[in-house]
Amino acid sequence: MRHTMLGVVFLLERDRMAGLYRPRRASEWATCAVAVLLIVLGLPLVIMGTELALLGGSLYYILAGTAIIAGGILMLRGSVAGALLYLLAWLLTWPWALWEVGFDGWGLLPRLLGPTLIAVLVVLTIPVLRHLQKIAMAEKDIA
Amino acid sequence: MATVNPAAATALCGFMLLSAAAGMVPARAQSTYKVAPPGVNAANIPGEPRVGPGEVTAAVEQIGSHPAHDDWPAYGRDTAATRFSPLEQITPQNAGQLTRAFVYHTGSKPAPGQANKWAAETTPIKVGDGLYMCTAMNDIVKLEPATGKEVWRHNVGVKYASIPYAAACKGVVYYTSSTVPEGQLCHNRILEGMLDMRLIEIDADTGKSCEGFGDHGQISLMKGMGEAAPGFVSMTAPPPIVNGAIVVNHQVLNGQRRWAPSGVIRGYDAETGKFLWAWDVNRPGDHSEPAEGQHYSRGTPNSWAPMTGDDALGLVYVPMGNSAVNYYSGMRSPEENRVSSAIVALDVKTGSPRWMFQTVHKDVWDYDVGSQPTMIDFPGQDGPVPALVVPTKRGQTFVLDRRDGKPILPVEERPVPVETDVKDDPRSPTQPWSVGMPRLGLPDLKESDMWGMSPIDQLFCRLQFRRAKYEGEFTAPSVDRPWIEFPGYNGGSDWGSVAYDARRGVLVANWNVTPVYQILTRRKADGLMPVDDPSFKAGGGAEGKGALADTPYGIMASPFWNRYTRLLCSKPPYGMITAIDMHTRKVLWQHPLGSARANGPWRIPTYLPLTIGTPNNGGPVITAGGVVFVGATTDNMLHAFDAANGKELWNDVLPGGGQATPMTYEYKGKQYVAIMAGGHHFMRTPVSDALVVYALPDNK
Repeated sequence: MRHTMLGVVFLLERDRMAGLYRPRRASEWATCAVAVLLIVLGLPLVIMGTELALLGGSLYYILAGTAIIAGGILMLRGSVAGALLYLLAWLLTWPWALWEVGFDGWGLLPRLLGPTLIAVLVVLTIPVLRHLQKIAMAEKDIA
Repeated sequence: MATVNPAAATALCGFMLLSAAAGMVPARAQSTYKVAPPGVNAANIPGEPRVGPGEVTAAVEQIGSHPAHDDWPAYGRDTAATRFSPLEQITPQNAGQLTRAFVYHTGSKPAPGQANKWAAETTPIKVGDGLYMCTAMNDIVKLEPATGKEVWRHNVGVKYASIPYAAACKGVVYYTSSTVPEGQLCHNRILEGMLDMRLIEIDADTGKSCEGFGDHGQISLMKGMGEAAPGFVSMTAPPPIVNGAIVVNHQVLNGQRRWAPSGVIRGYDAETGKFLWAWDVNRPGDHSEPAEGQHYSRGTPNSWAPMTGDDALGLVYVPMGNSAVNYYSGMRSPEENRVSSAIVALDVKTGSPRWMFQTVHKDVWDYDVGSQPTMIDFPGQDGPVPALVVPTKRGQTFVLDRRDGKPILPVEERPVPVETDVKDDPRSPTQPWSVGMPRLGLPDLKESDMWGMSPIDQLFCRLQFRRAKYEGEFTAPSVDRPWIEFPGYNGGSDWGSVAYDARRGVLVANWNVTPVYQILTRRKADGLMPVDDPSFKAGGGAEGKGALADTPYGIMASPFWNRYTRLLCSKPPYGMITAIDMHTRKVLWQHPLGSARANGPWRIPTYLPLTIGTPNNGGPVITAGGVVFVGATTDNMLHAFDAANGKELWNDVLPGGGQATPMTYEYKGKQYVAIMAGGHHFMRTPVSDALVVYALPDNK
């Protein structure tokens, strides 16, 4: 876990100055779409989650929403870290969900089903993002 | 656009009227809408002068008190309303083989262009060679019990405008005359109360009107009611006949105006239709009809549930509702406050209350008693006690001594939330809990109980939850901020009530877990209109918006759901079924009732065969064979459960929603199970006109 966190920080630092990548192949377009999807889904979580937190409700949604949006932005910039950030949020959602509702199947459904389906999509983007990163690295070396 | 939008037209006309009237008279201070009472319209029953309390014609014993083995002669099978049948042919071993014996179509469903207000809720009765039932619009039929072939049909001509909240006819009543000899017309009669407030008696053999009853077989129950729009008052439940007296209650449309028509309970002679007495809450001691030009006291609590008659004690047990305007109690009289949401035992000779027991004090939650009470011999320590089981929407089941109304099982008055910004309407500091009976309910809601398909719609519901005022059960109403009512006004136990197997001492109940989200508003700002106002728009009714006219407030009530996905905001289950051992008052079994097959987001059926527990309306039936039958659920199925352990034995998908209590009977050696699959407009189940009847295959 600690290792992953360090990895994320490192990648964030490395990509700080990089701009958005320009998708060329279908897989890159798809990765881009997943990234946009994360941002679109993260926005309501942050907006409604902020009000919920202010009303004394759960902090999960504002935290998860922030992580998901950040993940989406990083992915748009061609960074593997974005995907890893989403997967980290998804991973932490499990203990949270179990803490809230236990092993109640109907209770777990809204908390885990959608995020897990999206996690599958995000995992599929990792090879694409890796490739993009390599190219970026090579371009940097040339420069 | 080829048609004129009537709403727009009304708005335009309303605007012109307002402009013309500006500066002349103050805005409408009271309803100016005067119409002839609907019952008189429909049947042209002539008016008669005021009548004082009368003597009842001596009665003979009715078959409902000792039903024949094969029969189901009353709405709740017997006068005790046990919904228990001694039939044994269908058992847990063979119930899985049940197949359709026949389907009968009543012909009553919305015509093209008519808004669906249908919810038949009918339970047929079976006596001898006849299956008798009413259609949702009150036509009466006799069917052959083995084939569903129509023997006769008596059309009554109820108009669409007379439909109140729902076109419902829970059932008809079988009556044996004490004056007409056997073999003659109208010795055995079918009695029915109608949506348009007529009471009718017809001959059971031929379907012909009983001329000796009222005016050519009918009486108008609008007499003495005063001003009322069609559909404002109506009868949907079968009136019990107790020692020769027909006892009549009626529903008054919820949430319209404080001075709605009266909730008066009346007695009529079952032989002649002659007026016997009235119990009019705000005219205590006066049991006559109102004098010329006067009317029964307006806005008093109405009773719409099926009542239960007790011939031995000469009582009728009236499940009382609320005063008109459910959500605001600031204008109720002390007399109303005593009887609203109570069980009242009326003496059927005089119409005077002998005792009363209140289930909710100063009810502003629409917790009216919707369930028919069931008479049982309570297994007490010193032998059986004549008891009344009173299920409630709160899920509290009270068990009372029928002789004096005293609780047999302990009742505790517990403190409840009283904080409210409706300043002129303080709440009761305590409410009664029946602590000796298992509660038909789940714990209070919390934020993490909010639900959805994804974190986003779930979050939306969590936010709704946090925005609302909620302090647990009996959260007091608030103005301009929503509050959550849980259990909701659909129950707990609603009109389906419970079934009781005296042999095993087992009580079976199906119930709801459906919170309600509502907000009191300042009415003037919202333009809400009551049903008797010319600018009233149809589509309101018991649920949804309520004008609460004559009060400072209006009401917006809705299920606590996500208005975008149409999923309920709280997590499943939304419906349960429970069996209770009345000897030990322990739960024998309990589980969610109803599958997810016909439900889903955006009202799209999921076809998932998973038991989720759906909202349900309609009662259970227990048989001596050890099977529990219940429809009720929004999966549109009829279910059979093993009475011993609750295991689902069989189910079948109905052609419409099974929001009715099933019944069972035997005919020529064969046991049948019947359910009206009429659907329910508010439950959003498909409407149909089909009575579906099941039996075991012949070779078994």
